[in-house]
Amino acid sequence: MRKRRSLYLAVTALVAVLVVALTSCNWFSKPKGLSNLDLLIERDAAMINVYSVIAVNPNANFDNTVSREINVVGADAFINWITSGSTLELINDFGKSKYKEQLFYVEDGFVSSSASIPQATADTRVIKLSTTTSVNDSGLLEGYLVPTFEDKYGYDVQVVSAGTGAAITTAKNGNADLLLVHSKAQEEAFINAGNDYARVVDGRTDARIHFMYNYFVLIGPKGDPAGAKSAEDVKAAFALIYQSESTFISRGDNSGTHSAEVKLWPSDSGIGIADGQAVFPESYTWYKSVGQGMGACLVMANELSAYVLSDKATWLAYRFNEKS
Amino acid sequence: MNYLLASLKSAWEMMFSGNSDLLEIVATTLRMAGISSVTALLIGAPLGVLLAVFNFPGKRAARTLLRTCMALPPVVVGIALFIMASGTKLVYSVKLMIIAQIVLITPVTAGLTESYLSAILPDLKETAGGLRMSKWKLCLLAANESKRNFIVVYLMAFSRSIAEVGAVQIVGGNILHETRVMTTAIALEYGKGSLSLAVALGIILFAIAFVVNAAAALIQDRIGRS
Repeated sequence: MRKRRSLYLAVTALVAVLVVALTSCNWFSKPKGLSNLDLLIERDAAMINVYSVIAVNPNANFDNTVSREINVVGADAFINWITSGSTLELINDFGKSKYKEQLFYVEDGFVSSSASIPQATADTRVIKLSTTTSVNDSGLLEGYLVPTFEDKYGYDVQVVSAGTGAAITTAKNGNADLLLVHSKAQEEAFINAGNDYARVVDGRTDARIHFMYNYFVLIGPKGDPAGAKSAEDVKAAFALIYQSESTFISRGDNSGTHSAEVKLWPSDSGIGIADGQAVFPESYTWYKSVGQGMGACLVMANELSAYVLSDKATWLAYRFNEKS
Repeated sequence: MNYLLASLKSAWEMMFSGNSDLLEIVATTLRMAGISSVTALLIGAPLGVLLAVFNFPGKRAARTLLRTCMALPPVVVGIALFIMASGTKLVYSVKLMIIAQIVLITPVTAGLTESYLSAILPDLKETAGGLRMSKWKLCLLAANESKRNFIVVYLMAFSRSIAEVGAVQIVGGNILHETRVMTTAIALEYGKGSLSLAVALGIILFAIAFVVNAAAALIQDRIGRS
């Protein structure tokens, strides 16, 4: 028996040593987080990223059979609350204490809502909100706005997050009561699809209520081989990356960020989106279309010392993680 | 229901359109699954035979360890390999995806071979004892007896490899024209909200698996007859 026990010990020790040896070579010697990357360009007019809320129409011609009731009262309550004067102030303040920077800005001249907001009832309590990963990863909704709203009015807001395309599909399938997304073209396609997916909230004239924005930022490797930082604007910076064929990580997933990125390349680059698919000449080995979320793209850019377009909130969240 | 119909339709169209991106993704998938499953069989099957035939101290512990490794979470293997390969040329390459698959499926090939053999080994040992065979000869006999089983084991390895998504997404990076495979492409289409296209790709993946399994069934029949 003693012999067997010592063997078990030996095997365990061997495995432990192997694991430590294999992992220590990189885990402890390598700098963590996004230490290879820097923020190069921000607050360029071409990088404004506008967010909208859209209510889902309960009488829409959905893409599949919908047996749940669309929560019109709850969606209206949330939309009227998030566009009310006091919430807009909360949005302007978000992130200032954590990052010492403003992350989201309320649109100039936006007419805030003053509609009264009913308390939740048993039928209207659960609100399904479909949004994009960039909003959710920033912590604006779940860690900040939603708890305030829930505490005050007794609703239960269930936030589902995915890329803009998937977030909109969620609504088309009748699985959401409202949308909070950031891709004007896809939002307009949703509203004008002819299936009456969207609903105009009382007191508004348009189904698409665009009310806040933030900025995309150009992130690049520390050495900035393309010299993008000294370019006069973001389009010139993208032209420099294109000419120098510096590695660039593209979301490639038809998301709001991907749609914004393809508009920044020189028009003769051949980079774009067609039928929801990323399009670029196959000879561009420097252009990596990776079809993953914002966080994964930042990690890949860090690994490959590449350029990447990010929303500012996700960049700061990942950057901040590294320092904490 | 209309999703399924739309998916079947676009799967049909894609398969016969000769879409070059799709062909490339299928080729990468087959290369990854083919190389990793064959390698895993070549490493795992002899390991399984040796483990079944030879008695040595710590055999039970080794067997338990092996069976535990069959449950290795792909995402964890992916992250561990990513950290190890970080900063090298291997990161975001098909090679690293193949390595990840080998790590994941070798325990499966070894474990399945071992458990099949331990069931038939008492009979084989009797034969071997009668013929005064050495343990090494017994290994060959055991391998010969499990010919048909190796095909099942191989199919298991191939299926695991072709259907895996967690590890290859992390170590491969899902880069178009480089490391994108069927499963990561499916995850991407879902992420874009193109559900029917995602299911269509799934149907094509299923069709490939069907062809491989049908071919294996034919081989198995032939071995059975001989």
